[in-house]
Amino acid sequence: MFQRIMLAMLLILAGIVAVWGATISLTNELPADREEVVFWHFWSGPDGEIVDEVVTRFNQSQDMYYVRAVSMPGNNFDMKLFLSITGGAPPDLINQDDPIVADWAFRGAIYSMEEIAPPGEVEQMKSWLLPSALSLGEYNDRLFAVCNGLDIRALYFNRELVEQALAEVAPVELESVEQLDRIAELCTKYTEGELSQIGYLPDPRRLWAWGPVFGGDFYDEQTGQVTANDESIVKALDWMTGYRKRLGANAVATYRQNDQSLPNKMFPLLAQRYAVILDGQWRVRDIEAAQQASRAEDQPVTPYGVWPLPSKSRRGKAGWVNGNVFLVPRHAKNPKGAWEFIKFWTGMEGHEKDAAKLCAAGGWIPVSKQVAESEEFQTYLNAHPLFARFVEFAATDQVPTPLVPGANRYYREVNNLVQRVLYDDKVVDLTAELSALDQMMQEHIDRIHQRPSFAEDHADE
Amino acid sequence: MSARSKRMHRWSGWLFVSPWLLGLALLFVYPFVASLIWSFTEYDLLTSPRFVGIDHYERIVREIIQGKGFGKALWNTFYYAAVSIPLSIMLAIGLAVMLNWKVRGQAFFRTLFYLPSMVPMVASSILWLWLLDPRDGMVNGLLGFVYETPPLWFQGIQEGMSFSSPLQFGSKDGLTLMSLWGVGNFMLIYLAALGDVDASLYQAAELDGAGWLRKFRYITLPMLSPIIFFNLILGIIQSVQAFTQVYIVSEGTGQPAEASLLISLQLFLTAFRDLEMGYASAIAWVLFVVLALATWGLFRSSRNWVHYRGVRM
Repeated sequence: MFQRIMLAMLLILAGIVAVWGATISLTNELPADREEVVFWHFWSGPDGEIVDEVVTRFNQSQDMYYVRAVSMPGNNFDMKLFLSITGGAPPDLINQDDPIVADWAFRGAIYSMEEIAPPGEVEQMKSWLLPSALSLGEYNDRLFAVCNGLDIRALYFNRELVEQALAEVAPVELESVEQLDRIAELCTKYTEGELSQIGYLPDPRRLWAWGPVFGGDFYDEQTGQVTANDESIVKALDWMTGYRKRLGANAVATYRQNDQSLPNKMFPLLAQRYAVILDGQWRVRDIEAAQQASRAEDQPVTPYGVWPLPSKSRRGKAGWVNGNVFLVPRHAKNPKGAWEFIKFWTGMEGHEKDAAKLCAAGGWIPVSKQVAESEEFQTYLNAHPLFARFVEFAATDQVPTPLVPGANRYYREVNNLVQRVLYDDKVVDLTAELSALDQMMQEHIDRIHQRPSFAEDHADE
Repeated sequence: MSARSKRMHRWSGWLFVSPWLLGLALLFVYPFVASLIWSFTEYDLLTSPRFVGIDHYERIVREIIQGKGFGKALWNTFYYAAVSIPLSIMLAIGLAVMLNWKVRGQAFFRTLFYLPSMVPMVASSILWLWLLDPRDGMVNGLLGFVYETPPLWFQGIQEGMSFSSPLQFGSKDGLTLMSLWGVGNFMLIYLAALGDVDASLYQAAELDGAGWLRKFRYITLPMLSPIIFFNLILGIIQSVQAFTQVYIVSEGTGQPAEASLLISLQLFLTAFRDLEMGYASAIAWVLFVVLALATWGLFRSSRNWVHYRGVRM
């Protein structure tokens, strides 16, 4: 009896496995006469659905390539990619958002677009991209990454709180960081002796934005020197430290921007913890959702505005840009198919409408002026005025994390240093700290440069 | 048995152990030897390793002296281990002793105190992020009555057990608290060991007029010493291997300001973010030597304080 039951269970199990296997083979079936392009990305949820949609549209538009999008967790994305490259089975296209382009290019982990696409098309792509988008992918005069969505930071503000504090209409733009300081001071509130609302608080991760705004550069491409102790960067850090001096390290750490305690990681501006906050364009969705919820409940709708970083008074750059980029791993089986998909996504060669539709669906900033100016996208911008401001800022001189091998660690170490300075009341010599970091990163970058680059290593191939 | 069947017998033996042997060779011996070789090379996973001699080991010594990079991670791990291991041993023994009392609901309490160690690490890490939030966390809600400025926990770079910022708890202290939450496993082992202590020892002590403190000091603790020794070694290994919880609470960076950068995370970042597999291998080997030395030291010292069935080994 027992044996019969076991046998029946085994048969049922085998049946389930067979049905499951058949389903998998059906979903992975490649249409006849089409070449597969495997695309790894880390989008999931609503963003993942948008990616699936654009992949479907691309596949429908094609009779040669077929993109198979694979969504995977972003945490160990790099590790999986390197193992796949080392194992000789990388995907054909990946999406990344860390400052790794120069590093991976130097080590030969990725193809330059010049290696996989006709020269004319690469040149066309370079002129198609906004300067800020292009800056995220160019290394050693070659295009190693194509930006597919820009991330721009600007100062969101609660109009009600700011206007109450100023007792006048909020300015359209801030004239200087000093004006931001004044507003921050006026909007900072204490209840029963305890801090209850922050006017503005610099995020430790954003020395990368404030440094250039103060006129500084983190790296001198001409000399190959790390310039973390650039006078203007020291000034920017000193300015950020001013907030710690006024509020205390404890308050700075407690009111940190990436506040985990808020339900669903709620945007602190909506929780009225901040009056002004530096964040990216993706927060527009949160603000609009909150405003819509207020309307639905017949509650007063809180108005919000956006300021660009006040760079003019310091003659600095407009801010810091990063974003998602497409990369084609070396030894990819179908780099040409990947290039076709890149062109489709970015809207090149008559795909502006598709690209506009994609950006509007995801609330993503187009990487090309033509897409941003297309009728479809303008309709979207008219309905989303806050977002329109970010699209406007994307066309200004935003600078990325330096494109240099080792930039990923450089990014991390700068953030560590700023945290150390902001989260501790101990007085430190900022110039000395930045100089020590400068030296450490120079050693790190020099160590990488001592290796033969991929191009040198394979010169005889 | 004929010679032929003996041979067959031997071969079938090898055949049966071959999956294990294959696993050992591929997943243990090969990485073990490869990492030793890589520790003397510059290797980025993508191109062939390049011999650099003892450069990485020199860098490790330099970083230890400067207290940066590996030096910082080593200190963080040492602090974490030095605080969390004794506390977890004390807590586990204390709980085990209490749960050994014959009271009503003993099984319920045993289950209750063991339950937290069954919660998956990711879930408990997220839970602790909320509990230890400096502003809205429940822990600071309670500590608010004692502290003027409550601890920053995972947002703080302070070290609550150091002389520079006594009782100002930071991220490593938060991790320590998390490790105590999972003390149920250790507690269970102590509980089993307590059941094994001969009741006649306590009876003899009582006849000699010993109180509960003396009985605990001179009977319970010595009889538990092999388990304490075992948990001590296990605790050291777990401290060095702590990764998931550190990765989650520090968003994979060791933040704030590398205060929660334990060695396992530093090794991961070095190997897979900075692509310095050679240097990461050297770190792993230094760690192996440090662990081996610590274990050897503990074994040596165990002669003085570990008692097996009342006999000091």
